[in-house]
Amino acid sequence: MYSRAYKSLVSLPPLLWVGIFLLLPYTLMLLHSFWLVRDGVIVHQWNLGNYAALFTRTVYLQVLLRTMRIAASVTICSLLLGYPLAYYVSFYSGVRKEILYQLVIVPLWISYLVRGYAWKTILGSDGVLNGFLQFAHITHAPVGFLLYSPFAVVLMLTHIYTPFVFLPIYAALESIPRPLLEASQDLGATASQTFLRVVLPLSMPGLLAGATFAFVLSLGDFLAPLLVGGASGTMIANVVQSLFGAAYDWPLGAAVAMCILVFTLTLLSLTETLEKRRSFK
Amino acid sequence: MKHFAVVIGMVALLSCGACQKQLDTLSLLVWEGYADPSAVKAFEQAHHCKIAASYMGSSDELVAKLRGGSAANYDVISPSSDVAASIARTGLAAPLDLAKLPSYLQLSQKLRDMPLVKFNGQIYGVPFMWGPNPLLYDTTAFTQAPASWSALWDPALKGKVSAWDDLSTVYMAAQVLGYDQPDPSQLYNLTDTQLEAVKRKLLELKPNIRKLWGTGGELTNLFQNHEIVIAMGWPLMTNDLRKLHFPIGETIPKENTTGWIDHLMITAASSHKELAQAFLEYMIEARPQKLVTDVTHYTPANPGAAQFMTDEEKRTLHLDDPDTYMKRIYFWQDVPRRAKYNEIWNEVKAAQ
Repeated sequence: MYSRAYKSLVSLPPLLWVGIFLLLPYTLMLLHSFWLVRDGVIVHQWNLGNYAALFTRTVYLQVLLRTMRIAASVTICSLLLGYPLAYYVSFYSGVRKEILYQLVIVPLWISYLVRGYAWKTILGSDGVLNGFLQFAHITHAPVGFLLYSPFAVVLMLTHIYTPFVFLPIYAALESIPRPLLEASQDLGATASQTFLRVVLPLSMPGLLAGATFAFVLSLGDFLAPLLVGGASGTMIANVVQSLFGAAYDWPLGAAVAMCILVFTLTLLSLTETLEKRRSFK
Repeated sequence: MKHFAVVIGMVALLSCGACQKQLDTLSLLVWEGYADPSAVKAFEQAHHCKIAASYMGSSDELVAKLRGGSAANYDVISPSSDVAASIARTGLAAPLDLAKLPSYLQLSQKLRDMPLVKFNGQIYGVPFMWGPNPLLYDTTAFTQAPASWSALWDPALKGKVSAWDDLSTVYMAAQVLGYDQPDPSQLYNLTDTQLEAVKRKLLELKPNIRKLWGTGGELTNLFQNHEIVIAMGWPLMTNDLRKLHFPIGETIPKENTTGWIDHLMITAASSHKELAQAFLEYMIEARPQKLVTDVTHYTPANPGAAQFMTDEEKRTLHLDDPDTYMKRIYFWQDVPRRAKYNEIWNEVKAAQ
């Protein structure tokens, strides 16, 4: 069909892209994780000290666990919001389908930072929400936990990643052949039976994809804890950032990053296997 | 074909607009307030150049940026007395030609005599501004100025405190533990046992901390939005908040406080060394020093700036009696075990 030359020419740009923007930086990162810093200079002396530090200084594992807890909360909240929304838009929105779909997408056009600052204005001690609560005499002093707290981080991340959960679920729901639902009803299934035994299993790949998006993206987030997180809400990406930044400990930062990378890749391959097993062809 | 010619003509016209002599850009990586347009505009006009400033949030951020390979992005930096020496020592800064800095001799003798930025018989920086890290508080929340830094630990201030994301917070906790007695320079040479104790003390402070601040603007906002009522800050924030008519109080508690002597330096990697040298000369002249003081409320290194000040300004900037004021400030020094300090601080930040 196509000549060898043509094939290699076509595959060159993606290969270059993967090589320069993925393989090269990851390799550099891996190398750094085995080096060390002495007197403010990165010394190319091979050692496992960084990895040893990760597992002996409990603080890093603590932060990693906390980050996973936050990411899991975000995933659950985004699924609880995103699934029903996708379900409604796909099955019941009728002529408004197009506009509703657009409305879910629109927030993605707005800068992440702007959305972060918007939450500050809403949740702050002098913010919109506290103003309302006091105006309505529900509280008498500003409620502190709304901003600069784990709650605020989960809220902001849920707001940001719900569209990412919505999209794959919506795509999965859209691809379910509608006659299947009729067949289910014809065979006497109730609405909830149809949902649980037909719709939910068929949308499982989309659900898994969405959940993975939300989990992995929040796991690596560092802006939300920086903008709306409090003093105790540091996430693992903040640790990496401060190791690479102020502390100038690139080797230790690289070791932390490698651990996150391995964890994320394991998770991704796991969910991919699950998705494939769940896909009905 | 005719259309094609028109397009070519337009492209030629447009690119000619761009091919006018490009203005030289001098890139600064300095503390907030040091490149305010009110102070640098005159220099831009006189030298037909543009000043592009980035702000640093901590000394460590500056060092990490210089070491991390972005030194060539900046021409002028303003390291404080804690890292200025190591920047000069490790070849990150370029030696200065004093013949091109006639105003150097007007600078405070005391600051010039410090060995900080002198290395191998060369001078790597000019003293620029100095000041303390005072305790700032919302006067509506305190009937009188807090007498001690330990006020930050008051259980009644749960979630009402902000701390600087900087080693200064570590020094401050060490002061509360009394490690500055009898010799304040011990703050910069703490032992492992002392650092462990400082870490525990800082962990006790965490429930009170609502948010760490990284930039001056951030702390100003935290006060303004009533998120916090007390923090360690800079005179710059006091000045900004007063301009906004916010009821801010500033005090140096009984333990005294840490402070800094900022120097202007030219990076070794700078490609505009001539222009940068001219900029340094301009910034230490009396008039621009007064203009920077108006923005920051820091004490100028050039006492000649006083000639443009009212007596009241001279008094609040302690230019009438700088020596007494300096006794209350433990100026940042080179910390030989800075990595260990940073490790402690990172662990405090990461803890629950």
